[in-house]
Parts: sequence; structure tokens; C-alpha cells
Amino acid sequence: MSIALTRSSTTGFGLRWLWLTPIVLVAALIAGTAIGETSIPVETIVKVLANQLLGADYAVDRIDAGIIWNYRLSRAVVAGCCGTSLALAGVVLQALLRNPLADPYLMGISAGASTGAVAVAVAGLGAGALSLSLGAFIGALLAFGIVIMLAHAANSGVGGGRGVQAAGAIILAGIAGSQLFNALTAFIITKSASAEQARGIMFWLMGNLSGVRWADVALAVPAALFGLLVCLWHRRSLDAFTFGADSAASMGIAVRPVRGMLIIAMALVTAVMVSIVGAIGFVGLVIPHAMRFIVGSRHTRLVPATALAGAVFLIGSDILSRILISGQVLPIGVITSLIGAPAFALILIRGKRS
Amino acid sequence: MRLTAEQLAWSVHGTPLLTDVSLTVEPGQTFGLVGPNGSGKTSLLRLLAGLNKPKAGRVLIDQQPMHTLKQRAIAQSIALVEQQADTTDRITVRQVVSLGRTPFLSALRPWSKEDDAIVAQALRDVDMAHMTDRLWHTLSGGERQRVHIARALAQQPKILLLDEPTNHLDIRHQLSILELVRQLPITVMISLHDLNHAMECDRIGVMDGGRLIDSGLPQEVLTAARLRQTFGVHAHVVNDPVDGKQIMRFRNSI
Amino acid sequence: MLSSPLLFNRLWKPDMKNVRALLTAAVLLPSAHAMADATDYPVSLTNCGVEISVASAPEQTVTVGQSATEILYSLGLAERVNGTSVWFNPVLPQFAEANEEIERIANDDPSFEAVVNKRPDLVAVQYEWHVGPTGSVASRDQFHELGINTYIMPADCDTKDNSTGGDGTRTAAFSTDSIYKGITELAEIYDVQDTGEALVADLIDREERAIDLANSLELPEDLSAAFWFSSTDLGVSPFMAGQLGAPGYMMDKLGIRNVIESDEEWPTVGWESIARADPDVLVIARMDRRRFPTDDIEAKREFLRSDPVTREMTAVKNNRIVEMDAHAMSATMRTIYGLESLAEALSTMSFNQ
Repeated sequence: MSIALTRSSTTGFGLRWLWLTPIVLVAALIAGTAIGETSIPVETIVKVLANQLLGADYAVDRIDAGIIWNYRLSRAVVAGCCGTSLALAGVVLQALLRNPLADPYLMGISAGASTGAVAVAVAGLGAGALSLSLGAFIGALLAFGIVIMLAHAANSGVGGGRGVQAAGAIILAGIAGSQLFNALTAFIITKSASAEQARGIMFWLMGNLSGVRWADVALAVPAALFGLLVCLWHRRSLDAFTFGADSAASMGIAVRPVRGMLIIAMALVTAVMVSIVGAIGFVGLVIPHAMRFIVGSRHTRLVPATALAGAVFLIGSDILSRILISGQVLPIGVITSLIGAPAFALILIRGKRS
Repeated sequence: MRLTAEQLAWSVHGTPLLTDVSLTVEPGQTFGLVGPNGSGKTSLLRLLAGLNKPKAGRVLIDQQPMHTLKQRAIAQSIALVEQQADTTDRITVRQVVSLGRTPFLSALRPWSKEDDAIVAQALRDVDMAHMTDRLWHTLSGGERQRVHIARALAQQPKILLLDEPTNHLDIRHQLSILELVRQLPITVMISLHDLNHAMECDRIGVMDGGRLIDSGLPQEVLTAARLRQTFGVHAHVVNDPVDGKQIMRFRNSI
Repeated sequence: MLSSPLLFNRLWKPDMKNVRALLTAAVLLPSAHAMADATDYPVSLTNCGVEISVASAPEQTVTVGQSATEILYSLGLAERVNGTSVWFNPVLPQFAEANEEIERIANDDPSFEAVVNKRPDLVAVQYEWHVGPTGSVASRDQFHELGINTYIMPADCDTKDNSTGGDGTRTAAFSTDSIYKGITELAEIYDVQDTGEALVADLIDREERAIDLANSLELPEDLSAAFWFSSTDLGVSPFMAGQLGAPGYMMDKLGIRNVIESDEEWPTVGWESIARADPDVLVIARMDRRRFPTDDIEAKREFLRSDPVTREMTAVKNNRIVEMDAHAMSATMRTIYGLESLAEALSTMSFNQ
């Protein structure tokens, strides 16, 4: 057991696999660009990418070029950002709350986003001036604010500071807040929704990348990078929570500000993603657990591994959603859940055995 | 470093858990904290470790009031071994002990060879060097407690606080931990249930109902009258014929 | 059930007018024996799979669905309607005044009790899902138990399975015959058969003239089109007209190929697929609803012009974009007005590249 090896397993960056990251990511993006609901020859795809990236001047059909560059590539990039963000939010919440089932949507974010979207689409809030995604974003933040207020009230109720109770209070508040907003959603839908709207809402609630364009990339990439940098910057803080919040405090972590900042940062990033593509389940749950299984629990390795795996997972799921049933695009949430649920069960079972 | 508490008070929901606690632990001393269940030992240690802010009074590290220090600065001087701290993470012994270096690391001060050496030394100190790559959940209770102490030692604290570290340990590990703690050249405050173990401390304090009702040399504090009054037991203090030290024999509760 | 409308479609092509006359007679046949001017009560008929029997002409009617409302108005029965609901567009201008007098129970779905409270003899319904087996208002049985008759416009059930697909799935192509059937049956129920006959004759006339106009244009052989109703958000896969609904009927009648091949009423189709299919003409829906950003027809135009892919489409580049009332795109009397406006729009376009 040499020092070099143990260092990489505890604190080093595990450089042996790091160089693979950009290659895997680029491969996933190319796959996302090449495979779509209609089939475009590989030759055309290469030409379009060469035109756009290398300044080449091949003659290609302008519709094909637009589809490849403006639809598919932007969509793949946003899918990647979304996967990264949701998976990282899962890592952070599971670490801070010491609960393996913590999920970015636990904070009421998806429930609030649904309510916001439904309020705009079905109840006609904003009379067309408010887009579905803006409604979702506002709803997500509103629900998150309520959850945090509930958690704060519950937390001061049990006498503050005790890490376990504080984490428990957040989880309970998240459940209560989510239920509240789910009830609101059901209320609005029951009150007034025709089949067309219900279908639009359902599709959106299960995740929908079909409307993604470069403008969304400009929002998603900074948000995802922000999430990644925050996680990397606080990787040691996240480690320090291994034995709970008190233990973290005794090792010099300013628990309340750090935990608050991390949760709010992840909530914001998640809300941005939810408002662009809708609620995509299971990414925040499955990817962190799978990566802990592979690279261990130390966040120096877990954070980059999760960021990469989340991106690749969601790009892959998006590809599957486009080709599984020809002529029809499935909601991506269906794919992530269909893959995620059994994968999660498998991880749990294998984790128990080892 | 000298650790001083001045008229500390702490309450939860209006229920006072600590009232007017003042004490001083001199540099290098081992201070034993005893008292019945619920007497406030853990609350006091939490205030001294900076986990909670006192409702009244203050804590001093040497001459420095603790509330003027950042959490990170406190952790560079004071380490705490909690009573029960567990994790479900798949994490090795070395990784746990490495956590102790957290207060010293930053973006500008990454992990170094020196940190490796400190971690290795801490593991040797608690006699766990042979188990560095074992996973946490495969360890016994005693092994886990020793890893926690090693983690605290990796913080290279000037003051070490331990909350009933010998709980759930077999007698051999109880003694080895107490011996380790006593030998440390730093200021130590340790809460203990076993009064005979407390006799080995330099000084002890007795907590009852959130107050520090007595403190001083062990043989002066732990008298038959005190045991009856505070702990509710009839006890004899007898001399061990082997080394002449005082031991307590508990006969029955009141 | 499945084969007959398809058969009609094939028959129409060679000699449209004769078959058309034959059909009109066939549609009117059930009431042929009472042709004169009075209905023999009770009237018994099978409506969307349910036997109904009407003992006398309904005096009070509640409508669920704008199409049912407007057909009753067109039959001159406004004074026998005492409650309306489920509105999509403003009422047809010629009925605006009459409509003012009649209580609008709800803009959207009315509750069961609100309908019953009007003490109607008959509830006339546009969409089966409002009063079908799992009806959002109530099931037909619930009305029948209270002695209230129900009538669903055949356009929504004759060639349609409402238990699958987002807005139901057509089992065969929609045709205006189901509209005429609805008008004729309602005319019989209300004992206004002369008005019904006149209305049907007028609609058939307009339909034929629209088709004649299209034929006279000498449109390209493989002219293609797509109908965009709306989308839940800008850029998101839109709701497009399927093969067999009202827009499908219009395209079929005018000899246009629908690039959307789904049999669903309003499938969601990705812009990638639409752009690559590259229809010659795009028909976009105009509506007063403002639920989604693209409900606004200007938002639709703006999107088509600015999106880097759609702006390259043939229809957009050549400005072959037709506006049509959303209501005309659903299976109602207004479908025929839609057919007219599409034929007129085509007559102003040039298809010579």
C-alpha cells in the first residue's frame, strides 16, 4: 500500500480517469446530435459540425443544418447540463441531510414548478404573457421558500443546532410542502382542464426537451457550471458532514451558513433546470448512489464523477426517448424512471451485500 | 491552551439545561466531568466546542473569547469526540481520520505529505494503523470510537473534548483510551460515567441539574457524602492494597 | 363502421356531385317517412351507442360545447336553449344578440348540478368526454335517471374512439356527413325538419363550391400542408392535425397531402419532423384563448419567422401561411367555413417556384 495510491483514494483527484471526462462527454454530445426523431445521414452531420466548428464550407441542406446545430446539439448540451445539475443537487442534499433518499425534488421544487406551470397553462395566470417555464420557475422558488420557512419553524421548535433534527425538519417540511403544492396542482387541473391542456401539462411534468434552443443553453450552461463549482469549492465541507452536522461544526464548518448556501444554490440550479425542461425524476437519486458505489463517498472524486455521469445519463436518456417509439417522442422522465428505478434497486441490493 | 467557562447558561424552549457554569482547565490538564444522566455534561461540552452559543456567559480559549472566533479557527484549536456519531457512507478508516485535517485545508492549502504523516501518526496513536483500509461499517464499536479519537487527534488540537468516549467499550479498550488521553500533552476535558476512571484525572468537576456543583482534586471531590448526595448511592472509598490508590465501592442505591 | 367512410372517400373522387346527392338523401332517410313537416313522437334513435327516445319536442335545453350551441341557434332554436357552456371562441356574429339573452352556465366544464338545475328536457353535447362513461360533467346514465335526455354530436363519436389518444383517436376519417347527421337528427328531435334540410343543403352547397374552387386552381399534384393548432410553450413540440380529423378532411377534399401521418386527432410532433417533411403550406390556428404563448397567432408567425429551422421551411420562405379559426379545425359545422377559407387562401398563392 503505497502513499501515492492511498492519497488518490482519499484526497487526490484520481487523475487516472480524469482525462477520460472530456472524451466521454464529447462522445455523448455527438451521439445526441447524430441520433434524432428523423434520420439524417452521418455524412451530413459531420459536414454541418465541420461548417459550424471548423469554419468549413460544405454545401448542406439548410433545414438539416438547422436541425443538427440548432435543435439537436443545443438539446444535447442542455440535457447534459440538466443531468449534471440534478445529479449534483442529489449529492449535496444526500450529504448535508444525511439521508440517502434525499433528492433535489424533495425541497418542493418539482411540486412547485408543476403548480406554477399548471397555474399558467390551465388557470390562465398571466394571460399568455407568462410562459410556462417562467411560471414553473416562480412556482419552484415559491414552494422552496415555503419549505425552508416550514423547516426553519420546525427547527427552532426542536431547539436548533442538533444536526439530525435540523435535517429531519427539512425533509419533513419538504414532504409537507410538496403535498401542499401537489394538492394545489390537482385543484387547478380539476377546476378547469381540457384533454389538450392536461396532455400538455403531463408531457411537461415528465420532462420535455423539445423546445430547447441555444437561448436555453446560455442559461443552462452557466447554471450547471455554477452548481459544479460550488460543489467542488465545498467538497471538503461536504465530506465533513459524513458524521452529521455537529461533527462538521467541530471540524470547523460554519454549518448553518454553509448548509443554507449549498441548499439554496442547489435549489436555484434545480429550479432553472426544471423551468427549462420540466421535472425529470430519478437522476438526483440514482446517479449519486451509483457513483458512490464506483468512486466512493469522498466528494473530491464523487462530485466530478457525478457531474459527468449525470450529463451522460441524461443525454443518453434523451436519445432513447427519441428513438424508442418511431415517430413519437417519449417524455424523458419516463425513460429516466424506467432505467432509474431498477438501477436504484440493484445498487441498494448490491450495496447491502458488500 | 487554557480553557475557561464564565457563568455559562444554556436552555432549550425555556427549560434551563445549564446554569451559571464557571470553570478553568489549565494547559495540559486532564479534567474529568462526572454527573448523573441529564446533569448537563453533554450540553457543557457542546458549548465549549462552539457547537452552540451560550445564552449567557462566555467561553475563553486562553484569553480569547470564543464568540469572536470563526468556526474554523475554533476547530484549529479544539477537537470534539462526540458520544454517538455514525455514518452509512462507504468510507475507509483512513478517510475518516483524514477528515480531521478539514480545518487546515483550503483552496490555497491543498492536501500535502505533511497531512499524510499527521493522519498516519494519529492512527498509530490509537493503535489502528493496521486497519487503515478497513471500511467503517465493518468496524466494532470500540474500533469506531478509536477512529473517532484518531480523527480528533488529526486536528492536532490544543484542547480535546471527549463525551463519554468509553461507553460501549470493553474494559481493555476503556483503559487504553483513558491511558492515551492522559498521556496527551494537551488540555483535555472528558466526561465519564465510571467514577473510578474519573479518579485518574488531574481534576474533576461534578455536574448536577445543569450546575457545576463542585470541582477540584478527585479525592477531594468524590467523597462518600458527594456520592450519596449527587449520585444517590451508598459507597465506600477504599485503598487498593496493590498501588495504594483510592477506589470506590458502590453498595446500593438510596 | 370502419370501412364505409373509407369507401365513400373512394367513391367521391370520380363523380363527386352524384354521390353527394345520393348521400344527402341517405342522411335524411331516417326522417324521410315524416318528410312533410311534423315529427312523429316518440323519436327513437341510437346516439353514440346509446338508445334514446324523445317523447316530445324539448322546450328547455342546456348545451355543453359551442358546436352544439351554434347548431341549435342555426336551427332557429335559440329560445329553447336556456343554458350554455364550454366556449372556445366568440359566438358566430349572426347569433350574438340571441346569445346575450341566454345564461352562460360556465365558460369551461359546467358542474352536473348546475346543468340539472336548469331543468332541461335535453342536454346537447359536443364532446363525448363531457358525458361519456367517465364524463367530466356526468355520465349519460346520471342524466337519464333524472329523466333528462342527452344528445352527443355524432361528429365526435361516429368515426372516433374517445378512450385512447390525447383527444381521442379517429377510427376512420371524419367527414361532414356526421355534421349533417347531427343537424338532421336534432331537427327531427325539435320538429324543425324544414329548417334542418335547408341548413344542410346550404352547407353542402358551400362545401361543393369550395371544392370546385380548389379544383379550378390547378394546384400542384403533390401539394402538401400541415395544420398547427398550438403548443404548450414556444419551440416545444406542437399539437398538429392528424390524418383523420377535420383538417384531414379539408386536405383530403382539396387534394392536399397532410405531412403528419398520425391517426390521432391532435398528435404532438417535433419541429424536426415537421421541418424535414417540409409542407408547401402551413395552416395556423387563430383563437381567442390565451393559455399558451403560441395561442396568439402573431406568436406563431413570429416563431416560424425567427426559429433557425422553421424559417428555412418552404411554406415560411414563400409566405404560404394560412390563418384559420381554431374552431373550424375541430369537427363542427364551422369545418365547412374552414374548408372555404383554405380554398380561398390557396387561390391567392402561387406554386410556381
